[in-house]
Amino acid sequence: MSTTDDNTLPGIPNVGKADLDAMVENERPDPREELADVEADTDLGIAMAEDAQRVARGELSGDEYWEKYDEAAGAEFGEAYQETPNPAVDAGDQTVSTETAESLSCAVGSMDTVATESAQVEGEEPDGGIGAGDEKWGMVIDLQKCVGCDSCTVACKSENRTPPGVSYNVVMEEEHGEFPNVTRTNVPRPCMQCDNPPCVQVCPVSATYKMDDGVVNIDYDRCIGCRYCIIACPYGARYFDFGENYDDEVDEAGEVTSPEYGVDRGPREEGKSPIGNIRKCSFCTHRLERGEEPACVETCVGDARNMGDLENPDSDVAQMANSSRAFQLKEDEGTDPNVYYLK
Amino acid sequence: MSTQSSRFEFDPGFEDDRLRVAWYAVVGVFVAVGAYATYLRITGGMATTNLTSIVPWGAWVAFYIYFVGLSAGAFLVSTMANVFEVEGMHRIDRDALFAAIISMAVALLFVWIDLGRMDRMYFPFIWRQLTSALSWEVHAYVAYIGILVTELYFSMRIDLARIAQRTSGLRQTFYAALALGRLDTSEGSQSFDQRWLKRAGIVGIPLAIFMVHGGTGVLFAVSKARPYWNSGLFPVIFVISALLSGTALVMVVYVLRTRLFDGDSVDPDLLDRLAQLLIGFIIVDAALTAIETFIAIASVHPHEIETWQVIMYGPMSWSFWWFMIGFSWVFPMVLLSKRSWRRTPAVMVLTGLSVVIGIIAVRFNIVVPAQVMPVMEGLPHGSYFPTLVEWGTSVGMIGVGLLLYTLGAETLPLTPLTGGDH
Repeated sequence: MSTTDDNTLPGIPNVGKADLDAMVENERPDPREELADVEADTDLGIAMAEDAQRVARGELSGDEYWEKYDEAAGAEFGEAYQETPNPAVDAGDQTVSTETAESLSCAVGSMDTVATESAQVEGEEPDGGIGAGDEKWGMVIDLQKCVGCDSCTVACKSENRTPPGVSYNVVMEEEHGEFPNVTRTNVPRPCMQCDNPPCVQVCPVSATYKMDDGVVNIDYDRCIGCRYCIIACPYGARYFDFGENYDDEVDEAGEVTSPEYGVDRGPREEGKSPIGNIRKCSFCTHRLERGEEPACVETCVGDARNMGDLENPDSDVAQMANSSRAFQLKEDEGTDPNVYYLK
Repeated sequence: MSTQSSRFEFDPGFEDDRLRVAWYAVVGVFVAVGAYATYLRITGGMATTNLTSIVPWGAWVAFYIYFVGLSAGAFLVSTMANVFEVEGMHRIDRDALFAAIISMAVALLFVWIDLGRMDRMYFPFIWRQLTSALSWEVHAYVAYIGILVTELYFSMRIDLARIAQRTSGLRQTFYAALALGRLDTSEGSQSFDQRWLKRAGIVGIPLAIFMVHGGTGVLFAVSKARPYWNSGLFPVIFVISALLSGTALVMVVYVLRTRLFDGDSVDPDLLDRLAQLLIGFIIVDAALTAIETFIAIASVHPHEIETWQVIMYGPMSWSFWWFMIGFSWVFPMVLLSKRSWRRTPAVMVLTGLSVVIGIIAVRFNIVVPAQVMPVMEGLPHGSYFPTLVEWGTSVGMIGVGLLLYTLGAETLPLTPLTGGDH
């Protein structure tokens, strides 16, 4: 241990910098040994790596570096080099000038743009916009796993940014029996996305309707706020937006809204939809469309909630929905919900 | 014809000028209160009500179905004169039709203010839903108002023409315009009017019974989520209680307008006839309601039992016992029990007012209790009593109705100039 170091602090053991550097050097693999294992030219690899360190230290510019090695890299790696986007070319903060980048023999463009282009080639734009997917979305909630923590309710409120008095998901908590023989059931209740939805049946302006993927949509631009659907819903899943907000709790609470049903409506403003409209759970359609699970499913601490395609017999939800433990709420109403529960 | 027209005396409006001032002052206060409350409602949105997502329908919906009922009831009374030609009923034909039109206008005002987006009130005429009772209803209401106006026109046209012939200047233009320029007062034109009046009435009867008011009952009855409403008898009771309130309204309007506007004496036979109708409707209404209640309770469905417990013993049970049972059934039955009382205008006005007010409670007891019970165990119970804004706007819209009725009664020949039967 060295005691000659000036910056000694009381009570803190002083490890000499030189000792540390030696330790790192000791651990560092030998570049020549590492590169010997791959097919590529070892000398070129070492030269490029050393110059890359110089670029990082500012002793060499990015342009000089790429001009120096472009030909050699092209010769060494061929197509693999020419068709790969140059990692030094990045939108906004690139380390090589555009002119130099264009003169290089590798494909020009950032990783981002190339990734987007290839994604578009693979998955074509879905026809018919939101909710037109091939899946039939269903949710299965395992009541044996639900601990009644209400995380789903909270995640839903923060994902969908619902105002006071509107809660797309609630957990109905019931206690049965008398002390000491008491049991408690927690039944989370999102919108059931019924196959025969009474809400759709009664809407006088067809503002609420079933989408191809099974989700019941609400067109906030058409809803007149008559609240007949709240009356008709046997699950109490619909809420009226009275225009209240959380401004007292959070500054500018209405600045960000959720793009429900794939429509971005900008900040929440008085007199503007969805204020004065009916609101309800959409299975987080906006998340489903980008390949994510609904917020409640993603957050569930006990993994009680599952989302998937009910029409795909191999999917987890289809198998769970077909199990002997599965049931729906108010089955005799004939609404045929797409939310299943496991006893 | 000119010699004949001089026999008619047309002097509508209040007999007593002081009464006119007092009445307009009262109506003016109603409308002013309503205007302020409506201002608060529009600027504050639906948050100014005591409605919630658990009890989404309240006073405005109750008043809406109340006025639809008043209108349908009054219209059906009018058809006794112009379709079924019941003797001695022509005297109240126009009164009943005009009251029906005003009631319907007030009902639509209540629907309008109840919308979360009042600016989208015309949307149901752009987009429809075949399975929605409400979608059908809004169209039925428009058609029904059309029938009512048509009927009032054919009922009143000949008198409008007679007045137009006897007056001059602006007044003449006004009455001639209301007669749509058809100023012929011959026998032929009169029988043409009566023929078309009857035709419109024949179309109007099923429209009023099955679509307008029966349909409004269906609007509630289809809600399977609310077992209290979900019964086949429910729309029928709707129509019967509409007839009850409509007849009572026509009786009140007949007596008051004859006394205060025409300065005539009331025809005791006509009054007795209306009173006997009222007895019949009270009996049918009470009996069907009893059957409905019995079926509900006998089902031992917890939702039904608990809803009836809320109605009979809940915090609002006074409205059931005092207003629904008391004012709309028991009290009027007592007043209607003696023949001499049935022929006394003052007693019958009291009876009619009692029913007209009692049926308001019937409507509230239809709308609210079914929403107090949660649709699923584990969801919260509802509770509801209207806010001052809700009461204020309601008073205002009723005031608008009273104002329109009074203005009409002061200008239109609601009493046939020939005095009675055509």
